[in-house]
Amino acid sequence: MYRGDLHRMLPPLLLLAAMALVSLALAVGIGSVPISLAELWAVLMGKGESLHHTLVVDLRLPRALAAFATGGLLGVAGALMQVLLRNPLADPYVLGLSGGAAVGALLAMVFGLGMTVVSGSAFAGAMVSVVLVFGLAHGTGSWTPTRLLLTGVVVAAGWGAVITFMLAISPTERIPGMLYWLMGDLAYARSPWTAMTVLGLACLLIVPLGRSLNVLARGPLQAAALGVAVRPLTWSIYAVASLLTAVAVTTAGSIGFVGLIVPHMLRLVLGNDQRLILPASALGGGILLVLADTLARTLLAPEQLPVGVITAMLGVPTFLFLLYRSR
Amino acid sequence: MDVVMIDQDDRLAPVPSWLRGVVLFSLFGMASVSLADSVCVEDDLQRLVCLEAPAERIISLSPGVTELLFAAGAGERIVGTTSFSDYPEAAEAIPRIGSYKRIDMENLLAKEPDLVVAWISGNPTEQVERLDELGLTVYWGEQRDFEDIAHTLERYGQLAGTESAANQAARDFRAGIAELNERHADAPVVPYLYQIWDDPMMTVNGEHLISEAAAVCGGENIFGDLPRLTPRVDRESVLAADPEVIVAGGMGESNPAWLDPWREYRDMTAVKRDNLFFIPPSTIQRPTPRLLEGMRTLCDQLEEARERR
Repeated sequence: MYRGDLHRMLPPLLLLAAMALVSLALAVGIGSVPISLAELWAVLMGKGESLHHTLVVDLRLPRALAAFATGGLLGVAGALMQVLLRNPLADPYVLGLSGGAAVGALLAMVFGLGMTVVSGSAFAGAMVSVVLVFGLAHGTGSWTPTRLLLTGVVVAAGWGAVITFMLAISPTERIPGMLYWLMGDLAYARSPWTAMTVLGLACLLIVPLGRSLNVLARGPLQAAALGVAVRPLTWSIYAVASLLTAVAVTTAGSIGFVGLIVPHMLRLVLGNDQRLILPASALGGGILLVLADTLARTLLAPEQLPVGVITAMLGVPTFLFLLYRSR
Repeated sequence: MDVVMIDQDDRLAPVPSWLRGVVLFSLFGMASVSLADSVCVEDDLQRLVCLEAPAERIISLSPGVTELLFAAGAGERIVGTTSFSDYPEAAEAIPRIGSYKRIDMENLLAKEPDLVVAWISGNPTEQVERLDELGLTVYWGEQRDFEDIAHTLERYGQLAGTESAANQAARDFRAGIAELNERHADAPVVPYLYQIWDDPMMTVNGEHLISEAAAVCGGENIFGDLPRLTPRVDRESVLAADPEVIVAGGMGESNPAWLDPWREYRDMTAVKRDNLFFIPPSTIQRPTPRLLEGMRTLCDQLEEARERR
């Protein structure tokens, strides 16, 4: 990376990192039980009332971190898919991954199994979907983004039918839980550490590949002409993007919208340089989901909203504003 | 907090014999267990729930639980409940801590409860388990038949130290059921449809409490054999089964609108004899002592249908 590039990229990343810290601070500071700044400080210093300690350390902090990690994973996965498929409508779920995960999770819920089984089953479902889509798209050798995209969309439609079928035949008392899972809900997130670790590793792995991705974004032929090993690169990045999405879906159900909109928003503001867009998507996705989840918890408290509602309500106007401004 | 939590590991460990004695004793609901004021009961997940002193600050996680706690004389000890807890009237004034499907954990913890009463098939398991992990005492309840209702009342009474009121309520409930049983012991069978929802049309199978209630006064559920507790059925299968009586709940406590669409099928026995009856849904669809009220209504309706034969 040239010195000039670094100078150009550092300010936006630092700004996003600062915004991420502010959003996490808000998430920890705001809840349906008011905690004053002084009390919050006391808790962070290891003092303070035990109730406040429980609220901040056991409830708000893990949930905020899980929201951040999930949003970050979806942001990065979305940015990668958009580059690889060279399609602005691509999102992390475009290859049918959320559908596969949902079928896995709902199956475990129908049988009334615990949340650990539901998570494991969701992950397995996501992986089945990935293998299915890649196996089918590979087919007779001609392997193009269009073919992959089409296979993904059709497989996703298939999963959709299975989900509807399962909702129709499930015991009534299980349906609310299933619907909340499908809408995406961070109340399920227990420990943020798996998602956080995966996000960190993925960023370390992907960011050095930014230059090759920049070339790849111009099309596989140009990339090959410029000396990029296209096939191994695309395959491994599909695999990474799928893994990131699977971890995100396993943590908080299928939260839509973040993976589609966050990379686009950042491109409108920062330009289409993958070296910058990928880490920025991690931070931007995290910020959006942390803010959305904080609102979801508190807006109608004590009623709890699913986070997906708020992500769209925050994201749509912001995105439309940026798009309008960029004419 | 002066509450003894039985955590996961202790639960698996063999229960000391004196404790087992206490549990057996309390299970039969004979009397309160007073061992330096501490009390242990078994909940509907067969877990032992222990309190050092009667619960003073109770959280109820469903409208049904709230109703049962009031019936057991522990209503004024509820410090938080879920939305739609509308019975008895005093329940309306209790602060809300979310809905039964999604609990506001912060709000709940801020009430500093010494007992949380959860609903097995209704509450989100992972949230309630989280409460357990955070050190709260959780009682998991589910009432599948009449005896469950009476026994739950007795156990709530023990946990809240309101045994006399609770045991009286349990006795009254059992006596009421026994009386209905006796009165309708020889009643001829009446095939009926119970409609719990209109669009899509849903009914109940034989395992549902409503079917048990109707069976007491000679009702025979036309969909009793279906595998799901609340199956979706179409009008055609109802026409084919031709029930003698159609009973429906409805939106709200006095709106029999769901019965009207049946009137166009003039050849149905239930329509010909005008055996279309309405029951206020909260009196028969909630597993609480009020079920007795709903059962009396239902039994009278089936009796009316027999007179129209």
